[in-house]
Amino acid sequence: MKKITYFPGCSAHGTSKEFDETVKMVMKSLDVQLEEIPDWNCCGATSAHTLSEPLSYALPLRNLVLAEKLDNTTMAIPCASCYQRMKVTKVHLDKNPDLSKDIGTTIVDEGTYQGKIAVKSMLQYCYEDIGLDAIKARVTKSLAGMKLACYYGCLLTRPKAITQFDSPEYPMSMDHIVEALGAKATEFDYKTECCGASFSISNTEVVIRLTGKILEMAKESGAHALVVACPLCQSNLDMRQPQIEKQTGEKYNLPVFYFTQLMALAFGMPEKELMFRKHIVPVEGALAQIGKIEPEPEKVKKPKKAVEAESEAE
Amino acid sequence: MITLGLQEKNTLLTDVNKRSGANVLECYQCGKCVSTCPVSNFMDFPPREIMQMVKLGLKEQVYLANSTWFCLTCSACSGRCPREIEIPAVMEAIRHLALEENYTNKSAKVKAIRKFHDIFLDMIRRYGRSYELRLMVEHNIRTRDLFKDVMLAPTALLKGKIPLLVKPVKSAKAIRRMFKMAEKLEQKHK
Repeated sequence: MKKITYFPGCSAHGTSKEFDETVKMVMKSLDVQLEEIPDWNCCGATSAHTLSEPLSYALPLRNLVLAEKLDNTTMAIPCASCYQRMKVTKVHLDKNPDLSKDIGTTIVDEGTYQGKIAVKSMLQYCYEDIGLDAIKARVTKSLAGMKLACYYGCLLTRPKAITQFDSPEYPMSMDHIVEALGAKATEFDYKTECCGASFSISNTEVVIRLTGKILEMAKESGAHALVVACPLCQSNLDMRQPQIEKQTGEKYNLPVFYFTQLMALAFGMPEKELMFRKHIVPVEGALAQIGKIEPEPEKVKKPKKAVEAESEAE
Repeated sequence: MITLGLQEKNTLLTDVNKRSGANVLECYQCGKCVSTCPVSNFMDFPPREIMQMVKLGLKEQVYLANSTWFCLTCSACSGRCPREIEIPAVMEAIRHLALEENYTNKSAKVKAIRKFHDIFLDMIRRYGRSYELRLMVEHNIRTRDLFKDVMLAPTALLKGKIPLLVKPVKSAKAIRRMFKMAEKLEQKHK
């Protein structure tokens, strides 16, 4: 059994409880033990780096130091924002000893930072460390019939120098994972556009506009649902969807799943444990697509003469 | 270019470059950042113009622009910048410098954004973790927009999307001390 350090993040206790729960279920079934950082604190999210540079490093640093005490080589983080703050801090402190020394003074009891733990997003961990073959091997209920638009948002793959994972323009890791589960990933051009993130409360107009475009493009791609790996993206796309529909007059009806909810579903775990009841946009319609496989478009047989004419022309 | 001759006396340029680790002079004004930026049409000056204004040393206009507050740090611009300039880092550096020198954009939008971050940090100082319900309520009170998102509340609360309570960290003292030390480091910057 593998063991990794786990940082759930604040939203795991509320907004994204279904992400946290399904991560735990999926990891257990993949034989990975999650060791939660004891008494972790908030990473500071957008607010800390907006207002104070030292604080934006200090808050993640305490978690990194506590994480290193657990003696695992890797830490995996479900929330994209927590992941980004932790990784930014790690990259900057590892690169700059003076900064590391300065920020180190904000931590007293926890110990000193050594820079020995690898920081990964849960998506990255699933894709790189667990791997598609292991995921495929665990599938007992294929999701074939479901068409999914995989939405990555900004923070999982950008900036490339920090994340060192997948493509910043057109990532495919989540697409490959849902295809390993049997579903079809649609061609979705807005997969890395920003949803408006923390403006959800302070500048809702921006979120409605940006998230609205993402929903529109996902619908156009032919998807039955969106798949995400970030609590804030999920809440903007799901909770604000009725508001956006009212404003644009369109009906999207696109449930927004965490990729781990779908993994758990395909691994045969009971639906009622996947917390679909927490979704604002009902999931039933999308789930009903499972098993409904469209017939392959029939190839139009060319009349014999035309085939002969073509081969002559060559 | 006209901007090059102004370098020596341009303290804005030196400050921004030093703080951000980027070199704003590299910008050749192609405008790719503007077309990529999801919020450029909400900004007083889109990223390209901010870059040029930094080169020209227009300190007050740059510090007072709403642009740095609207930047979502989504890094779409820097990913596509042909000069590989970390534009979000430049935006952040300008925001921090403006805060330190007490330049305040007084528009309602920027005030609302800033209040959100103030309340959020205050919450972390107090609980060590974020507390969404309090954040939403307090933001409504402090921006005098009491009924904002009230329609969302019943469903969100019933479905457990927004928890009623927060589980604070046990080492509250360590968090408070961290905030104090971080403030000291900010002073050192000045």
